[in-house]
Amino acid sequence: MRAQRPELVTDGPAPARPRWFEMAMSSDHKDVGRLYIGAALSFLVLGIVCFLMMRLQLGVPENNLIEPVTFNRLLSVGSATLIVLFALPLAFGLYTYVVPLQIGARSLAFPRLSSLSVWLYIFGGGLLYVSFIYTPPEAGFNSWPPLSDTIFIENNGVDVWIVAVGLAVLGIVLQSINLSVTIARMRAPGLAWRRLPAFTFSGAVSSWTMIIAGSTMLAALVMLEVDRHFSGVFFDAGAGGAPIYYQHLSWIFFTGCYLVFLLPAFGAISEILPVFSGKPLLSRTALLGSLAAIMPLGLLAWMQNMMSASIPIGWLYAAMLMALLLTIPIGAIFVNWIGTLAGGVLRMRAPMVFALAAISTLSFGLIGELIQSVIPVNWLLADTTASTAATGYVLVGGPILGGLAALYYWFPKMTGRTMSEGLAKPSAALIVLGAQVTFIPLFLAGVDGQQVDIFKFFKASDAINAMQLDTLNLIATIGAFVLALGIVLSLINAYIGIKGGTPAGHDPWGGETLEWFATSPPPPHNFDVVPDVRSDEPLRDIREAVRRHDASSTKPAETTEPVA
Amino acid sequence: MLGPHAAHSPNADDLNTLYWVMLAIGLVLLVAINLAVIGIVMRFRSARGRQPRRLVVRRPAQLGTAGVFAAIVVVTFVLGVIKTHDAKQVEASGPNGLQATSTLLAQRSLTLPATPASQAPLQVKACGQQWIWRYEYPDGTYSYYELVVPVDTTVILNLCSTDVVHRWWVPGLSGKFDATPGESNQTWFRADQTGDYDGASYAFSGASYAVMRTRVRVVDVPTYQAWLQQQGADIQQAQTFVQQVNGEG
Repeated sequence: MRAQRPELVTDGPAPARPRWFEMAMSSDHKDVGRLYIGAALSFLVLGIVCFLMMRLQLGVPENNLIEPVTFNRLLSVGSATLIVLFALPLAFGLYTYVVPLQIGARSLAFPRLSSLSVWLYIFGGGLLYVSFIYTPPEAGFNSWPPLSDTIFIENNGVDVWIVAVGLAVLGIVLQSINLSVTIARMRAPGLAWRRLPAFTFSGAVSSWTMIIAGSTMLAALVMLEVDRHFSGVFFDAGAGGAPIYYQHLSWIFFTGCYLVFLLPAFGAISEILPVFSGKPLLSRTALLGSLAAIMPLGLLAWMQNMMSASIPIGWLYAAMLMALLLTIPIGAIFVNWIGTLAGGVLRMRAPMVFALAAISTLSFGLIGELIQSVIPVNWLLADTTASTAATGYVLVGGPILGGLAALYYWFPKMTGRTMSEGLAKPSAALIVLGAQVTFIPLFLAGVDGQQVDIFKFFKASDAINAMQLDTLNLIATIGAFVLALGIVLSLINAYIGIKGGTPAGHDPWGGETLEWFATSPPPPHNFDVVPDVRSDEPLRDIREAVRRHDASSTKPAETTEPVA
Repeated sequence: MLGPHAAHSPNADDLNTLYWVMLAIGLVLLVAINLAVIGIVMRFRSARGRQPRRLVVRRPAQLGTAGVFAAIVVVTFVLGVIKTHDAKQVEASGPNGLQATSTLLAQRSLTLPATPASQAPLQVKACGQQWIWRYEYPDGTYSYYELVVPVDTTVILNLCSTDVVHRWWVPGLSGKFDATPGESNQTWFRADQTGDYDGASYAFSGASYAVMRTRVRVVDVPTYQAWLQQQGADIQQAQTFVQQVNGEG
């Protein structure tokens, strides 16, 4: 029997669904971007709680506040949280929101894929935390086999880690594909690659990085799970595999993550500095070229994390060379920033303050990394808290200060309101101060030989702890709380801003890029008209045209000049 | 405070030298960047009536800047290769050291000296296991936690692991090297002074990772030989006792 034709019912529009439901189901890049950013900041709070508990345990020597296994679980969950559930999603959330607006597109290339990607990530992250009800993972931040194999860790904690990290990384890889296609194919007329805003360009580079590094990690995770439960032999030394294969694969991923700590912050800072110093970047070509160069050099330097492994020395020299070569593009970016600031008229508003704080904090982390890029120094400092300190500076300078700078900068566009300047400046000061008070003592303790990831350290009477490890660790713990307070202040500021910030208008900062052409917040289709782009500062051109138009229209005789 | 442990072995000395060079380069860059940013912010904060002034960068300036960074890369890379090579170059035992006890074996990751057989290094097998280090001497004697070696004698450590990945390091004597199941890896040291050197494992290895520490006790040659004999006898005695107990049980 044939199905009947459906009847058209015309008794009014469908009842409005609740706002949260619309938001969750939405494939609009602005909704997906806000979901990403909101979830990433929530996971940041959870990650901070994990790390503060660990710092409390390490505040005094031979502390018994937290049991060893619990400490290892906090370590495993906390590290996964800060890297995979906070830093990457915050970066890709900002890209998801801002990139289509900056390139004059009305959506992403694959809108539904972006909705899938954010839910894969949120589901994976939720799974990691739900595991505290039964067995959380305990195999350390990168779950190396053989330790992560069933012989040594029988419970399902590692499986939770594999699935949770796997889902989140899968989401990020899908979104990377989405963004790279969007940037390649959906730019406004006239918006050539060389005219791309620095943040969007860094988005393209970050996406390419994650397509490579994220897919590598997905492969490694599948192999690890096959090894655990399906008698696989990928990483089993006794059966023809080798544990070192996993080390290579996971370090390719974590090196990619490190680059995604840097690239979005570099991009955002390079947007903010010109706007708040009233002059364009010193050299756009050098900046964009440097951003692009960071990806291949950085990814090829993955073995610089494995310099103590039994790898033929030639490969280690190659990794060392790649890591050292990063000095050139990163140095060029710093010179570019300083040259952009010099001679400008600096408006010290919140985004600018956070950008400057990020530059200073990043310089500590990147130079710390440069010092241990040479093999002999790496043999001294790797796996000590000195290397933690260098990575910590980059994590605070990049995703936290750089991410907050971006958030302060684009918050008016996302919500139509501005965040309070009165809360922003103390927050930035506390974060910078907290980072220094945490990481300088950790660096010194690491030079003295304190290991990473230990659940307790021993009293200073031991020869290995010859210096005042007690004092250094206590100061670092106090610093960590100052740092956390600074971060929480900005999160509170964002919450207050959403509820009752002062209305911002469409272009509160006088930006030069296309997102400020849309209303705040933008309508679902972003732009009524997508303007032609004639230079790398399209909004300046539009303002000029409007000014010319206004000027000419007040003189009744001369209205013949056409307006763009 | 800022420096690593004093070096008591030639290869540790290579490591420490390069640490100070890199720290100096790093500190100069750090001060330059931060002073520039702070100075510019003080100087150019917004003021009425001033217009932003655009800097013009010409090609020579750009190339010059890139050249400065390229020079840092070249210098640090060359120094890194030289010092790595030096640290991998095993030196012969000194005059006060132990005379030859074992023949030389081919090594994958170390360069061995061309020395008379009497100055051949002492080869010790260092095996990591959860959560202790086991040292096996050429005559089959073994010890846990504490490695006893003679002063001024080149000691080659053949690292191995019976379970998960471990990483051996005693500050002042060497760098960090992995003990991975199924892989062979070596390091070496030649302690110039008697005394105790504390170290630990530096690769996360599960529940009791923090207590997986080790000690190198450097003694003079007669003490070492006496200790080795005593340790061998003690092991023999313990084994006999265990066999007796098993026989009775």
